[in-house]
Amino acid sequence: MAVEVREKQPSDVETEQLATGCEAIAEAIRLADVDVMAAYPIRPYDGVMQAAAKLIANGKMDVEYIVADGEHSQFEIVKHACAVGSRVFVGSSGVGWFYAMEAIAVTAGLRLPVVAICGNRALDDPGAFGCEHNDALAVRDLGWLLCWAETAQESLDFALTAWRVGEDKRVSLPVAIGLDGAFLTHSQQIVKIPTQSAVNSFLPKFDLGDRLLHPDNPITIAPQVDQDWLMEIRMQNDQAMRKALEVIAEAHADFKRLFGRGGENPYLDEYMTDDAEVVFIGQGTLSLPMKVAIRKLRKEGHKVGLVRLKWFRPFATADVVKSLSRFKAVGVIDRDYSFGSPFYGGVLYNEIRSAMYSVEKRPTIVGFIAALGGREIEQPMAREMFDKLTAAASGGLRSGDITHWIGVRN
Amino acid sequence: MSDTVKTDPTGITIEIVYRGIFQKTLAQRICRSVVLAARKRGYTGTAFGRYGDSPERNGVPAKYFAVVAINDLELEASMAKYEPSVVDIAVAVDDTLVKGVESWAWYGRQPIWKPVHEGGAVLVTSDKTPEDVLAQTDTAERPYLLGVVPGLASFAGLWVFKDDHTDYRVLGALAKVVPQWVRIEDVKALIQEQTKDGSAVASAQDGYERTQLRQVKVGEGTPDHEVLQFDKPGWTTMRPGVIVDARKPGERNPYYKKYGARTLRPVVNFDTCIKCTMCWLDCPDECFEVTPEGHYEVVYEACIGCGICAQVCPVKDCIVMVDELKFEDNDDKWQMWKTDHDAYNRWFEQKSGVSADPKKVAVASSRAENAAPGANPTTAGGED
Amino acid sequence: MTVETHGTGTLPQIKGVKDVPYDELFVSGHRTCQGCESALVMRHMVKASGPRTIVLGSTGCMYVANTTYYTTPWVVPWMHTQLGASGSAALGTAAGLKVLMRKGKIKDEKINVIAFCGDGGGADMGIGAISATLTHKDYNSLILLYDNESYANTDIQLSSQTPYGAVTTFSPSGSAKRLMHTRWKKNMPGMMAAGHPESRYIAAGCAAYAVDLMNKIRKALELGGPTFVHTLDPCPKGWDYHPQYSQELGHLAVETGIWPLYEVIDGVCNLTGPTRQIAEGRKKRKPVYEYLKRQGRFAHFADEDVEHFQATVDKMWTEWLIPGVIPFTVAQKDQTLLRIEKRPLHEETKTA
Repeated sequence: MAVEVREKQPSDVETEQLATGCEAIAEAIRLADVDVMAAYPIRPYDGVMQAAAKLIANGKMDVEYIVADGEHSQFEIVKHACAVGSRVFVGSSGVGWFYAMEAIAVTAGLRLPVVAICGNRALDDPGAFGCEHNDALAVRDLGWLLCWAETAQESLDFALTAWRVGEDKRVSLPVAIGLDGAFLTHSQQIVKIPTQSAVNSFLPKFDLGDRLLHPDNPITIAPQVDQDWLMEIRMQNDQAMRKALEVIAEAHADFKRLFGRGGENPYLDEYMTDDAEVVFIGQGTLSLPMKVAIRKLRKEGHKVGLVRLKWFRPFATADVVKSLSRFKAVGVIDRDYSFGSPFYGGVLYNEIRSAMYSVEKRPTIVGFIAALGGREIEQPMAREMFDKLTAAASGGLRSGDITHWIGVRN
Repeated sequence: MSDTVKTDPTGITIEIVYRGIFQKTLAQRICRSVVLAARKRGYTGTAFGRYGDSPERNGVPAKYFAVVAINDLELEASMAKYEPSVVDIAVAVDDTLVKGVESWAWYGRQPIWKPVHEGGAVLVTSDKTPEDVLAQTDTAERPYLLGVVPGLASFAGLWVFKDDHTDYRVLGALAKVVPQWVRIEDVKALIQEQTKDGSAVASAQDGYERTQLRQVKVGEGTPDHEVLQFDKPGWTTMRPGVIVDARKPGERNPYYKKYGARTLRPVVNFDTCIKCTMCWLDCPDECFEVTPEGHYEVVYEACIGCGICAQVCPVKDCIVMVDELKFEDNDDKWQMWKTDHDAYNRWFEQKSGVSADPKKVAVASSRAENAAPGANPTTAGGED
Repeated sequence: MTVETHGTGTLPQIKGVKDVPYDELFVSGHRTCQGCESALVMRHMVKASGPRTIVLGSTGCMYVANTTYYTTPWVVPWMHTQLGASGSAALGTAAGLKVLMRKGKIKDEKINVIAFCGDGGGADMGIGAISATLTHKDYNSLILLYDNESYANTDIQLSSQTPYGAVTTFSPSGSAKRLMHTRWKKNMPGMMAAGHPESRYIAAGCAAYAVDLMNKIRKALELGGPTFVHTLDPCPKGWDYHPQYSQELGHLAVETGIWPLYEVIDGVCNLTGPTRQIAEGRKKRKPVYEYLKRQGRFAHFADEDVEHFQATVDKMWTEWLIPGVIPFTVAQKDQTLLRIEKRPLHEETKTA
């Protein structure tokens, strides 16, 4: 019996690439048929812009690629391109991200689904360009969705998810994806590049409906408002963010069905937690050295695990509480700082404690600030955190009212 | 009935309703002086503008407040407030404001007495009688005391204040109606300290003596002003994404008509009009409609009385600016000219005080004689 | 009377006042001051551009006053943008429309993109973004800077466009300092023209010359690519004069030579209106005092202040390479090399 062999088109075949987090995102931009992107140089995010430029120059994708005169302009350009119906992409790092803050704040206020990566970088001065999370965390109150990727694969997957969730009419909010500077933005890993047809099944066309800015749709977008109106508008944002939890879960299920990836839970990943007595929780690539440490500790007989939070906004309180309530103690690893906060803890520390406040049987929750400014988490540091966490576990709730800075020279 | 206002024994709230920018400094000065005069008796107080009026616009009605209280504790009820919901006295420092206050979109047109409690007072600076002023004020829903402080509306600009003693006269009038809070002796002492000017002190006394009072009963006033009120939608029905519908072609903004910002309105002599287009072309508020015959008709629902049309019209007295209180409605007038030419011309002459006869016209730059005394300064050394 | 709207495929030059279209795309019911010339500019701007237009409005009077408190006077689609973002708003909107049309996601047609800014948002904070947009020759947009010579919406603070010596809330006149603001107005349209050779149209206009202004706007939109128009708008609130004189002050600004009207089209500079007549010697420049004395913001001026003002305007006319446009003077030794005629045109005696 003759077998008909159909010649497969390149886009129909899932391929593999050795790609950095930034390059993986560039592939996502291609697959998503982004219409407009705006670039401006700052390390370490701008690898994505360099990769995208190559794809455009070589005819691999058709995107309006605008080099802006600064980050504020960058984010304004894509915001307005989005308002006329373009699917957009933008990004920045560190102080560049802060230079764009005005535009970032209002993009959420306007309910425009801009998708951005934040190549996490320390805010400098003091001058440094290593990984810290404070840049992306600055959007946490504004109405942006925010997630952190662990691998180059997850970066690509989150990018596709970002357009899917952000552009969903029930949400219509901008999405930021945190990519740890250097460790993820510049690290080459094996990445599966999905097929165009699978992506087309996952990602519908961007449709603003009657919010489209166009002469055929006479509207005024963002008239000035006063105290009689603003609270109602903020309420709408609040409702949209609540809806986002649901929409993320739908997208996660769909993604799993089409691509076979995504983990058990849309919002967090658990590692060796089944019988753990104590766990660590953190975001981004710090999970990798921590998993190495956990395997070592397990060999020694310790019952320890890791929870990696994927989505920071919206914060999946119910899922986080359900997960963490099972343990005696939780060590929160913040790759950020929040000077002067309660117990001088990092941002994630205080959010987790707030989420867990009303749980009857609460774990001891200890704060760790580690690996700032591009420093890596070395195994002795992980060990130190484990020892401190275990000690606190037997000390009752109040032994969590403390923040340990790990690996700092005196 | 009493010729003074009964107030709560713990304090008093006064609002100055004024023409934005033109009377900003005036309103501030009055409110500050109320608080400082009351301070002489050991009371405390606060003065503040209404934040939502800001930024003020020339002519658009705005409010400034003075609150006096017997002590800090009682004052707290008036602090951190956007605006007082009830006042004892509303002072309109321009008499055309009695035709209603429309301060921004969705605000509606509100009667001048709206926040004044029963038995409170409305003071108006005017050169007209209390009866004339009352005839243009919305039908009273509560009894109040109307006081007319003698004098024309005092207009100035942001940088050059017109010191014509209006504020001193108003302070004197306030002393007349709420002597328990604003004593005439304290007012005069404060003015003397601040100005060292005997004539300023005398103006306060003048306001105190010559303010004409008239008790207004429920039902008195005019029912003829437009009812313009809105119910604001909530978050479930507001369009997401901070979006409102655009205006349709030919429409004017129904949520903000803005005619309440004028103190004068233009009347047009269609007989002498040469259809040059300049009034229509140069109106920043798009207040002219082009008639089938190519005349330019004023839409009184939209006109804010800036006077540019009268200034740019090349025909003498073809467009004349007239005191807004001479008119009872906002009806457009070209139809009247078309259907009853003579009646229209009589109306034009009666309102404007100039002849409608084309034979008496010369083509020359029109000086708007009736224009309110403006801010054109003479201190820079020139007549304008 | 009914108003018809029609597509604006082409925007022909308006022949005169009787030829001005009747359609109103910026209608009554906006919270601007009595006599606001910036509002008049808005009205003329979209009258000139027609209904197939998207307007982006940056923060300032023409945002807050017009679209105040959840309403709008705009018939055409309008969107707010940030104070310094008019350049970016123009660029992003134009780029978005272009790519969507190219990819077939929306209908391919001519849509005017106009982003406006005040003097504060345009000449100060947003100058970088405007400059960037004027270099992007692949995208069609008009950036319109409406200049009322202050940050007017925040109750009048000085900007780089505030004239020498003028009083604002950041430059009051007091007993120790008569003049707190002694910087001369930055030459914004000239700067844009000189710095962006690939922008096909840069112009300076004024609503006192309405047809001239509308034609400049139409020319900008018709030529395509990124363009820039700067209007001088008398402001009764900030300049302190009775609103009825707004048109007169606009005329005086031009007739005194303080605000030259011109356009630069594909690198060729034309003077327009009374400015042309002044340059040709047919009209004498009125003394600046005629203009200054009408405004409360100059009420504190001493004789020496008026003299300095006059001298600077004179210099602009007698020494600049192009009066009001290019402030270079050319060194003696280079005048022949560069073929510069030293004597200004208006000083030449008239030939029969």
